[in-house]
Amino acid sequence: MDMLTYEETKEQALKRKELTERLKELIVERLDLDIEPELITDDQPIFGRGLGLDSIDALELFVAIEDEFNVTVFDDNIEVFSSINKLADYIVENQEE
Amino acid sequence: MKTVLSVEQIRELIPHRWPFLLLDRVVELKPGDMGVGLKNVTVSEPFFEGHFPRESIMPGVLIVEALAQLTAVVYGTKALQSMQENDEIAATTVENDEFVIDRHVDISSRVGYLVAIKEMKFLKTVVPGDQLRLKVKIGKKFGVLSQVKVAAYVARECVARGALTVSERPDGDKDTR
Repeated sequence: MDMLTYEETKEQALKRKELTERLKELIVERLDLDIEPELITDDQPIFGRGLGLDSIDALELFVAIEDEFNVTVFDDNIEVFSSINKLADYIVENQEE
Repeated sequence: MKTVLSVEQIRELIPHRWPFLLLDRVVELKPGDMGVGLKNVTVSEPFFEGHFPRESIMPGVLIVEALAQLTAVVYGTKALQSMQENDEIAATTVENDEFVIDRHVDISSRVGYLVAIKEMKFLKTVVPGDQLRLKVKIGKKFGVLSQVKVAAYVARECVARGALTVSERPDGDKDTR
C-alpha cells in the first residue's frame, strides 16, 4: 500500500470523524436517548452495560443504518453493533461508492 | 368482500378467546407479509361496561390488540406455509386459496409476543356500530424481532395508525398435539 500524504491522511481522519459523529447523532435521535451524542465514546460498548440498549433498540438501529447508509447489518453479524468504531468500519467496508 | 379466513379458522391460528378475541374475519392475506381484517364493534362488548359508563368508546389499546392479533395471523399462516413446504404436516394445505388447518397441529401455541408500540396515533374515537378495518404490513426484521406498520379504518377514515414491534416465539416450539 502506498504511503498516504499528510493531506490524504488528514482528509481520511476528518471523514472518519464525520461518520462517527453522525452515527452517535443517529443513535441518540432514533433511539430517543437522553444523552448528548458527543458523550458517547468511539470504543464504548453500545449495547448492554455500555449505553444500556436492548434488542428492540438493535432492530431500530438496524433500520436506521439501512435508511441512512444503505448498508445492511445481518443478524448473524451482530458484533458490528459492539461499538461506534466497529460500526463505522463495517459501514465503510460495505458502502457502495 | 371475500372471506379469506373465517373466525373458526382464526381460532385455529391464534390462542385468543372471548372476551379477548378481537378479530372477526380476515379479508386479505399474504402470509408473512400483510393482512387486512375486520372487527365489528358492538355495544355488547364487555369493555363498554366500564369504558365508559356514560360514553361508550373502544379503548385505543384494544385497537392495538386487534392489530396485534391480525399480525399473529399473518405470522401463523406463514409458519403453516413453511411447515407445509417442509412436508412437516401433509394435512395442512392451501386449497383454492383457502387455508385448511389440521386440528392436530397447534399453530396457535407459536404466537409470538408484542414487544414495542411506536408512535401510535388515535385519530378518531371508535364507538358501537363501527366496523374496524385493520391493516398490517410486516416490515424489516432483525433477529427474532420485526417491525410492523399498522393502521385501522372506519368507513375509509383512518382512526389509528402507528408501528408495532413483535417477537417470534424464541423456543420455536414444534410440538404437535
